[in-house]
Formats: sequence, C-alpha cells, structure tokens
Amino acid sequence: MPFQDHRDFIETLKKTGDVVKVTKEVDWDLEAGAVSRRIYEMGGPSIWFKKVKDYPQGYTLYNGSLGTWRRVAISLGLHPETPVRQIYRTYEERLEKPIDPIILEKKKAPCKENILLGNEVDLYRFPAPMIHEGDGGRYIGTWDLVVTKDPDTGWTNWGMYRFMIHNKRWLAGWPQPTSQLAHQMKKYYLPRNQPMPVALVIGTDPIAHMVATAPFRLEEDEAKFAGALRKEPIELVKCETSDLLVPAHSEIVIEGEIPTDQIVPDGPFGEYPGYRSGTMAQGVGFRVKAITFRNSPILTMIALGVPIDDSSIAASLTAGVAMKRGLKHRGIPVLDVYVPPEGVTHLIYVSVEKGGAQVAKEVLEYFTARRVMVSKVIVLDEDVDVFDNGQVLHAFATKCHPGRGILVEHYEGRANSLTPCYSPKERTRLKGASVAFDATWPPEWPPEIVPIKAAFKTIYTKEVQEKVIQNWESYGFK
Amino acid sequence: MKREYQTFVRQFKDLKEGRQELFIKDLTPGPRKYDTKFVRAEITQSPEKMKTGDILRIRSESGVLLPEPWGIKILEEISESLPGHPWEDVFKVIKEKGE
Repeated sequence: MPFQDHRDFIETLKKTGDVVKVTKEVDWDLEAGAVSRRIYEMGGPSIWFKKVKDYPQGYTLYNGSLGTWRRVAISLGLHPETPVRQIYRTYEERLEKPIDPIILEKKKAPCKENILLGNEVDLYRFPAPMIHEGDGGRYIGTWDLVVTKDPDTGWTNWGMYRFMIHNKRWLAGWPQPTSQLAHQMKKYYLPRNQPMPVALVIGTDPIAHMVATAPFRLEEDEAKFAGALRKEPIELVKCETSDLLVPAHSEIVIEGEIPTDQIVPDGPFGEYPGYRSGTMAQGVGFRVKAITFRNSPILTMIALGVPIDDSSIAASLTAGVAMKRGLKHRGIPVLDVYVPPEGVTHLIYVSVEKGGAQVAKEVLEYFTARRVMVSKVIVLDEDVDVFDNGQVLHAFATKCHPGRGILVEHYEGRANSLTPCYSPKERTRLKGASVAFDATWPPEWPPEIVPIKAAFKTIYTKEVQEKVIQNWESYGFK
Repeated sequence: MKREYQTFVRQFKDLKEGRQELFIKDLTPGPRKYDTKFVRAEITQSPEKMKTGDILRIRSESGVLLPEPWGIKILEEISESLPGHPWEDVFKVIKEKGE
C-alpha cells in the first residue's frame, strides 16, 4: 500500500528508525534550520520538531523527508537497503504506467479540516522557519509542491519552487524564469494580463513531492506519474478559490494568484547548489486568497544547502531518469545516467554503448538545447558503472584527453542562474556554459591498440578468474 | 527603545543616504518577525545623528551583513507590493519610480 499522506510516511519511518521526534522547544528562527542542516551533514534521520517557539501545541515542523536513499526507498515501498541502481530501475519502470488521479469530494478531503478565507488569511499562523542566517525571509515553501494550470489545454504543472512569507497575505517566490511555471505565465497569463491561479501545497504524500522535482516534458501532468510511482491513483481535491486540483491529504494548502502587474522582493536564499549566491529580488509575488489545512498541521521543510539533502537526492533520481529518457529519445546510445547527489544536478554521468567525440557532442547538445541546468557531463564507456563514483573518477582521470576530450558549449538566455560560479552579470543575462568530458575510447582506434583495463575481470582470462575464485578460501581468505 | 529593521541591497555601495523608498523587514522578536513593508524613509549612515530614528541593518545579495548598522526614520508606509511584472528586478523598478 502506498503512503496516503506524510503522516503515514512518518509512522513508517518511526518503525525503521529514520525519524527523530524532538520534544524540546525549538525556535523557528534559525534553530530548527541549524539542527536540520547539521543532521544532513551527519547523514542522520529526518526530524519532527514537535514544539516550536511562539506557536501552539500541534503546529509542528518536519525536515528531511527524502534526505537519504533509505528514505527514498521506503517512500517507494522498497526495502530500506535497496541499492541506488535498483531504486533508479524501479522508478524508471513504474513511470511507464501513468495512472490518472481520483477527484475527492471536498468533505472527504483532510486538507479541508480548516479553511481561512479573505481577511482571515494570516500566513503567520504557521511556524515557517527562518532557515539560514542572512536569508531574505521565512521560507514556508521549500519541500513543497506548487500547482499551476494552462488555461487553454488544462495541463496542470507541479513544481517545487521556493516561497517565503512577505507579509500576512503575500508570499514572494522564485520559480526560475526558465521553469514550467514561468512558461505557463509567459505564454498564457502575461499576454492576457490575467493573474495566474496558484496553489502551494505543503506536506503531502512523499512521492508527490518527489514528482514535483522531476523535469517532465511540457504538457505532462505530474499527478499521473505520482499515481504510476505509487501504483495507485493519487487523490486530489478542488481548491476553494480556483479550479486547481491539489493532493487531498496535504497538511497545508495556500491558495492564491500570481499577479501580472505587482511584485514583491524574494530572497536571497541558501539554495540547492549549496550556496546563497545572490539570486534575489527578481521573482514573483503570490497574493494569498485562502489557506486550508489539517488539524495539527505539519509544515514540511528542507534546510537546503551543501549536499546530501532531500533536494539533491530527489533530483538525482527524477532528473537522472528523465535525462536517460531524453537522451534515448534523441537517438543517443545511452546505457545509464546517474546524477550524483554531491554534484547537485550540475554534474552528470552518462554511459553509452559506443562513445567517441561525436557521441559526446550529441550528449552535450541534448543538455544545452533548452533551459540548461547542467554544467558538466562525463561521458563514459559501457564498462564503467555510473553508480560507482570511484569507477567514474578513474575513467575521467585516465580516459578524458585534456586537449581534445573537452567540449564546451556557450549560451545565453537559458542558463541556470543558481550556478555559483557565474558572475552577477551572467546570472542576470542567464548566460553560461556547459562542458562534456569525453571519457570514452575513440571508436576509430583499432581494437588491438585500445588500452586494457588492468582489473581482475578485464585483464585475466575466464579460466584464471574461475580458478582464483574457486580456490579463494584455500588461500586463507574468507 | 529603538526598533530594528533590515533591508537588502545588491552591493553595499548601492544604498544612498537621504530620503529613499525601500522594502524593510521588521526584526521585532515574535511570530511576525521579518514582516516586510514598502516604505518611504530617511536613512543615514550615522544613526547617532538621528535622535528619533530606528536601526537599519543592511545585507547584501548574498546575505552578508554590513557590520555597522544605519539609522532609519520611517516617513510613510507606501504599499505591500510594487507595480511590476513577474521576474522584473525590484531594485530597477524602485529606481525608475524615483526618477
């Protein structure tokens, strides 16, 4: 059975030892963020802060839903020790069978237990954390799910975008200007000068949050893929002030609109690449019209920063599988893609059936064709296990020619402005560059001159390998 | 007791003394800390010269805190938001508004 909501998930994490309940009062102003950040850096469990300063009992904070591969495996109903490669495979296979969502009646939706409308709206009712010292504000939307809709086709997009409290009824946020939310805004709402309905969902089924990080193609409804991964439909319910559909078992749903003629300053914020790098005051405003929430709402958060955390893990999985689909779609002979969480989606490993400069060039073209979130790609031969950082590093160090093995592509208007090495001017102009490191053997080399990898499985005959394995214990090894 | 506010600039050199329009965050402790307002205010690098004013802390676009706070005297709360389009640079809009 998939998890219906975040509460089910936390209950399971209790049984597996992957959550710690903190009953001591914790300050929403930096303390909860600092504790959470430290736990990430120790590779520790998720944390449920049960008593938050300035807030009544029952208004709690929860950090780190999918901050380890163990918790990702659990969210998918797999054994906690499932290897990363298998988690990738499971995710990839399940996506092949999208399942339509079910629409619940409002009275059956837990997220409607409390409803604040119009003047009752007050974002300060919730213990939104000030996550890092020096952030622009209290980010209530970090581990979230933002719902928007194409008014003509009905295509509904889910994305994970940051939103901070501006005042009691306004949020300020920064969906990237190259995001799918921005695509909808620029294509439909801005030309018509109509505010865009939006819903910010906090604390729902962990798979729904994971799917919100996935770079699905335009016009693809994430809700169907959440169903695919859960192997059961996700239950949605209609908003109070728009026709948007949101997960019915969510903890908190903030409804409103992004106006086309009003702005408020967002940021800065310590972001997923692991830095607070100056992206500020170039976002969107979010005028709140309603808030619906469960009794004793749990506000989910991520103390984003240096990997590994929920963002780098979830994006590793969702982006890695999407990239593999995309590369295959372009006819590139891809075998595997791995997005190491430590590389925060800036660094990608791609293994191919047959390499060479032309294939590396095609791989780079794929990554730079539209919005560019990736700055470095290592292209590898089929004998390298992309899920093994050691093997990748060895191949990169030895097979990538320092002169002819490095391909660079420059672009403007579609770079990732969160890439910390870009200057303020480059960030403003979305100007950047990506590089492919070709760590494959040139296909034009005759087989007899290709260096032989001096590994047990590659430099000895089958007979010698079998003999050694058969005699292993008799050598005195266990 | 002076109140404390905070504002953000891209670089510290961007902030000018005198009458300015700017977004400020209220640093009064409690559940509404960091509440943001768009105000018209008199600001000075020498808070000791501003007898009736409050304290203004200044951070850069990377969140770096200027070691010495400025002084601020709020003249008027203007609005919650600012006319502008999504993804437009807020500082540019404020600058153009003042010209």
